[in-house]
Amino acid sequence: MKPRLAALLLLALPFAVNADWRFEPPVALTPPPATGVFQHLDGAGRRHIAVAGDTVAVTWEDNRDGSPQVYARIRVTGTDDFTPTRQLSTGDEAYEPAIAALDDGRFLVAWEQDAAVYLRLLDADAMSPPLQLATGAGHATVAGGGNIAYTAWRERSDGRWFLRVARLAIEQGLSLRLESSVTVEADGLEAPLQFPALAAAGDALAIAWEDRRAGHTRLLTSFSANSGASFGQPVHLNEFFSNRNEYDKGSGVTRVALAGFAGDELLAAWMDKRRGGVGYGIYAALGAHGDGFGPNERVHGAEGDREPHYNPAVAGNEEGDFVVAWDDFRRGDSDLWLSRYDEDDSWGEDITPPIASGPGEQSHPSVALDERGDLHLLWIERADPNAPSRLFYGHGRRASD
Amino acid sequence: MIRPVTTLLVCLALAAGIARAAPPEAYAFLPLGEAWQSAQQQQKPMLLYFGRYGCTTCRKMHAEVFTDPDLRRRYSEDFVLAYVDTESGNRIRLANGERTTEMQFATRNRILGTPTFVFFSPEQKPLFKKAGFQSITQMNHYHGFIKGGHYREQTLADYSASQ
Repeated sequence: MKPRLAALLLLALPFAVNADWRFEPPVALTPPPATGVFQHLDGAGRRHIAVAGDTVAVTWEDNRDGSPQVYARIRVTGTDDFTPTRQLSTGDEAYEPAIAALDDGRFLVAWEQDAAVYLRLLDADAMSPPLQLATGAGHATVAGGGNIAYTAWRERSDGRWFLRVARLAIEQGLSLRLESSVTVEADGLEAPLQFPALAAAGDALAIAWEDRRAGHTRLLTSFSANSGASFGQPVHLNEFFSNRNEYDKGSGVTRVALAGFAGDELLAAWMDKRRGGVGYGIYAALGAHGDGFGPNERVHGAEGDREPHYNPAVAGNEEGDFVVAWDDFRRGDSDLWLSRYDEDDSWGEDITPPIASGPGEQSHPSVALDERGDLHLLWIERADPNAPSRLFYGHGRRASD
Repeated sequence: MIRPVTTLLVCLALAAGIARAAPPEAYAFLPLGEAWQSAQQQQKPMLLYFGRYGCTTCRKMHAEVFTDPDLRRRYSEDFVLAYVDTESGNRIRLANGERTTEMQFATRNRILGTPTFVFFSPEQKPLFKKAGFQSITQMNHYHGFIKGGHYREQTLADYSASQ
């Protein structure tokens, strides 16, 4: 897998290696901060922004009307403006949306609403009616492309936890139909499963999640080669660090994100406590559908290696470029940071986007890469950790343009 | 410690309490919001325990410290006990009105490792934070500092030096 990846990266060299982005002024997607109003980007897999061609769509949760609800906006091809904010959720409370780009300027959004998982298909002009997929469920995420889409979520039934993946038929216009759904493992677990991440490449599907069956949290992955009709035996994603004493079960790991790139290649990134008492680092593994994942790699650079890092998000494109984003407070307040591979096939220096750093708290990134290698960035900004917040979008044009 | 403990003041109400990770057995640890309300109503000190499911030092303390019967009695009788799972998606509401998760609450309070214990006075003021393994003697010492009302006149360091 590694040589193949290296070859891809060499082909992509002009924009994938040491290429920074020229960032346009950030776009505020929500009104100025107001007392008691908060946006959140906390969905499973941190998929809150998606790009299809020149069309960008974002989804988030906020409580502008007094209860947490899920919203979306789309930037239409050929314009600089986003469509007005649309509320996708319809219940008492809704949380943790996730979005995937399909064809023809359409996007699929999944979210949790009143302890059930819902879906909607939308474009710049309209949206499908909400489709309820599961009850007693949450932590929904989505993946797809073209006219194929998948949704994963966790649900609890008879006291046991299950991960379920649905294949969705995306038909003409904004017509959406549940085609099939399976549990990743037939037998549920007494221990919780949480925050799955999903990546799809045609009929191939990869899922990663937080799993507590071992008495502590491990990250597991499973693959399907038949459009989600069945999944293989789960395998470990994070490497095991143990044996300090009789109580040691391994380092803490949490919040895995997953992206596909260059056809069937995969990137996973997560928070990992293997460094000991300095909190979470950002670690990653590269892989491919059919091959599994390679060794774990430290993403963040030396400058931040004595600092904790949070909220990793990942993105890739068909040209072979990929990026990891996260936030940390190495400079006092929280800023966003990015990393990508350099010429040596290793993670380069941490980059902090000027539009998402500096005074105040910039946090909770979500990222997408378009086919030019342009970066599309979504984040939350607030004056201090308890202040009202505002949602921002940033477009980083590939520096080689 | 100043900023995190100050931030802790925003904690209030309640959590949706599913899938909670494991606090020590035989202790009545509550979700944060419930514990906060209970401590306010009873005007009792609160021990806020930031843990992680399967965390090595947490497991060691559960086996070697929290099993001590005198310690269990002291903390069960004199404190309201709150537990936050630092990797949980369980939702809590903060005093500023924000709904967030236990994990994000821990992040915001810059909890780097587990276990981390934050001790609150009966007036619900955060007094001090202790991270990592704490022995039975240390836990009893913290109990005595708060239960005896010494926190009103002394820092924990001064109290420790006087013992």
